[in-house]
Amino acid sequence: MLQEGALAGLKVLELTDQVSGQVAGSFCARLLGDAGADVVKVEPPQGDHYRRSGPYPGGVPDPDCSGMFLYLNSNKRGVSLDIESPEGRAAFQDLVAASDFLVSGQNSAEVERLGLRRERSAASNPGLIVVTITPFGLTGPNSAYLGDDLIAISSGGMAYATPGIPDRVEDPGREPPLRSSTHMAGYLAGVQGAMAGVAALLSRSITGTGCEIDLSMQEAVAAVMPFELAHASYHEAKPRRPEVFGVMPNTYLPCQDGYVVVMAVMDAHWRNLMDIADNPDWAELEVFSSGVERARNWDALEPLLLEWTMAHTGAEIAQLAQERGIPCFPAYTVGQMVDSAHVIERGFMIDMEGSGGQRFKLPGYPVRLERTPWQFFRPAPKLGEHTSEVLGEWLGYTASQVSTAGVEAR
Amino acid sequence: MTKPLLPLEGVRIADFGQIIAVPYTAQMLAWLGAEVILIETEDRLTTRAWPPFAEAEPGVNRSGGFNLVNSSKMSCTLNLRDPEGVALARQIIAVSDVVVENYSSGTMERMGLGYEDVRALRPDVVYLSLGAFGRTGPMKDLVGFHSVINLFSGLASVTGHKGSHPRIMGGLFPDAFSGCYCVLALLEALYHRANTGEGQHIEVAMTEVLATILPEAVMEYSLDGTEPERVGNRHQEKAPHGVFRCPGDQNWVAISVESDIQFRALAKIAGSPRWADDPRFSTTEARLSHQDELEPLIEQWTEGLPVQEVVESLQAAGVPAGPALDSAQVLADPHMVQRGFVQSPDHQVVGPRPMGAFSWTVNGVQPAIPRSAPLLGEHNKKVMQELLQVPDEEFERLLENGVIR
Repeated sequence: MLQEGALAGLKVLELTDQVSGQVAGSFCARLLGDAGADVVKVEPPQGDHYRRSGPYPGGVPDPDCSGMFLYLNSNKRGVSLDIESPEGRAAFQDLVAASDFLVSGQNSAEVERLGLRRERSAASNPGLIVVTITPFGLTGPNSAYLGDDLIAISSGGMAYATPGIPDRVEDPGREPPLRSSTHMAGYLAGVQGAMAGVAALLSRSITGTGCEIDLSMQEAVAAVMPFELAHASYHEAKPRRPEVFGVMPNTYLPCQDGYVVVMAVMDAHWRNLMDIADNPDWAELEVFSSGVERARNWDALEPLLLEWTMAHTGAEIAQLAQERGIPCFPAYTVGQMVDSAHVIERGFMIDMEGSGGQRFKLPGYPVRLERTPWQFFRPAPKLGEHTSEVLGEWLGYTASQVSTAGVEAR
Repeated sequence: MTKPLLPLEGVRIADFGQIIAVPYTAQMLAWLGAEVILIETEDRLTTRAWPPFAEAEPGVNRSGGFNLVNSSKMSCTLNLRDPEGVALARQIIAVSDVVVENYSSGTMERMGLGYEDVRALRPDVVYLSLGAFGRTGPMKDLVGFHSVINLFSGLASVTGHKGSHPRIMGGLFPDAFSGCYCVLALLEALYHRANTGEGQHIEVAMTEVLATILPEAVMEYSLDGTEPERVGNRHQEKAPHGVFRCPGDQNWVAISVESDIQFRALAKIAGSPRWADDPRFSTTEARLSHQDELEPLIEQWTEGLPVQEVVESLQAAGVPAGPALDSAQVLADPHMVQRGFVQSPDHQVVGPRPMGAFSWTVNGVQPAIPRSAPLLGEHNKKVMQELLQVPDEEFERLLENGVIR
């Protein structure tokens, strides 16, 4: 028997930016679906932005098989509505009135224009929990600012802090603050939006009423950097300059076939590391005698260690090191991670199949809840796949009402 | 006016968190109203013994790294190498709703504090274990800090400048991001428990948490073996999309243009409206293939203007832009300060210190205000005597014997 998720029986309505798309709102709603809620995604007649973003299993654009769309929208049903038309807007408002959650991922001007604030619906649905995820929030001097992942990662302080410890900026004058080639801020805001939503649900159990959650992507980024903020709060902001501090080695170095983490911060680790490096004559030098000394003299030590790592593969070094209890690892590419025995044995990746039979994988869920486990309840919807089903089930719409309001599956 | 009820009021948490990920998780739950008892010992200090210290002066109560991930908690010091210390920990657990831990795999079990042991004490306990690689699989026993998790997950391989080496994301991102997934899971489990009376075990692998932000790369690799390239700050659908230099030392502005209309607006503001008619730049497709030529032109413009002026003029014209703030600028940002994100709880030893609080407001206000982090062992008496009813002379004996330390 399929177990029910923790949020079984709750209704979630999602509306995400119809033009530019937003990872945060879609991911937030998916996480609620991952926990068993009945999530309905509202898309415009031309479909969600991420239906057009790929990657595509056969390399040929197909709005029902875009990888980003499949990933962000599993465990949801899909309704297609033209909310710019009076009939579509009325149907949308009816869906809001029937929901426990309204999740929206927009910029703040769109939130106001589309009437997505809770005050609009609170009278007819006092239990409604509204989660809005916007670039800078709905209040404050910069609330009208537009933003995307790059802007959030930058204005939230993470780009400035990258590369982080134990990495370092090579040429601070020329090397700009950096993002990763991911939608990191969107996922951060999405998870935090789901957290805020479930916290509001627990509050609703006490008070009986819903609330409006106003989540800022900028703050969602800043909120995961307590250690970085601690530097500014307690002493001084960490400067962007080449520096090594603490104890070394605690870094990663190029090796024969990629990169390898070389970590020997404790003296026992260092002696073992020198053992597996065949005890070179420099191992006993006074300037390398402690972790602090090795940090102070890192410019001299780094090329010596590099000579050793470049003579080996990452796997060789990792194996020798792990046998001696030293925490060294080869740096993995995405492919090496996907193919690693560890990831395979834990069954983390989900196996998918494209419409042409192409087999591929997507990341699964990183949390195992024993009693309310994550499940792949359903794949992402085709455009408009559940319009009549949901309008009928949630609102009791007849077939003719559906055809006025919605767009049927092709 | 009565204080509004917080969602986790009445929930008690035994926090065996180490370093950042689980301490961060428990801190968020403490902010949401839970009573969190941090179980630590002066014999095995981590973040308390690490910089940054207030004014760079070391001290167990002076570390910002500790105080900013342990606010609103109580501190109880127990020597868990002593069977009596473990017995007291079991007593705390017996009256707790939630246990959270991120020791190395097997450590809690060896102390008799594993999930099965705890469930015998408290059948409806919600028990969360987090590990770098999780609690199962061939790498479960390996220890990994944030850099290892960046490098194993493949995240570092999509972070870095074109043609250069992989880079580690700043801000110890894997720890706090894992913490967010942990908070979500615990809130769901508590909701489930409220509905059914049933507790459960929760297991989290930090490497998997990071892999959840890599769907495109995982999909492309699994389709045809393509590994992603490092492309710096560039984007596959938007151009220009980067971080550009402004005058002075380390002042940078992020600009992201997603349409031709936005590019036309940028060109006009930059005083070069003709860029928009240049065939190299007139469409997104053209700009994507001429970024090497376009980026220096934009930087020539930004290098003459303060960051704030670039941001304000672009935003006023509907072009997404923002400053690349450093951490001091984040804490001083008028926008985030006004929204209540920046809070400064007053600490007994180091005074008021700014920190980041909730990334969201509820009905326009922060859901709660953090209290400062506890001093080492500050709540020993409260926990031992008020909660566990340990008599005075027994408390003194436990102190003398080094069980409470």
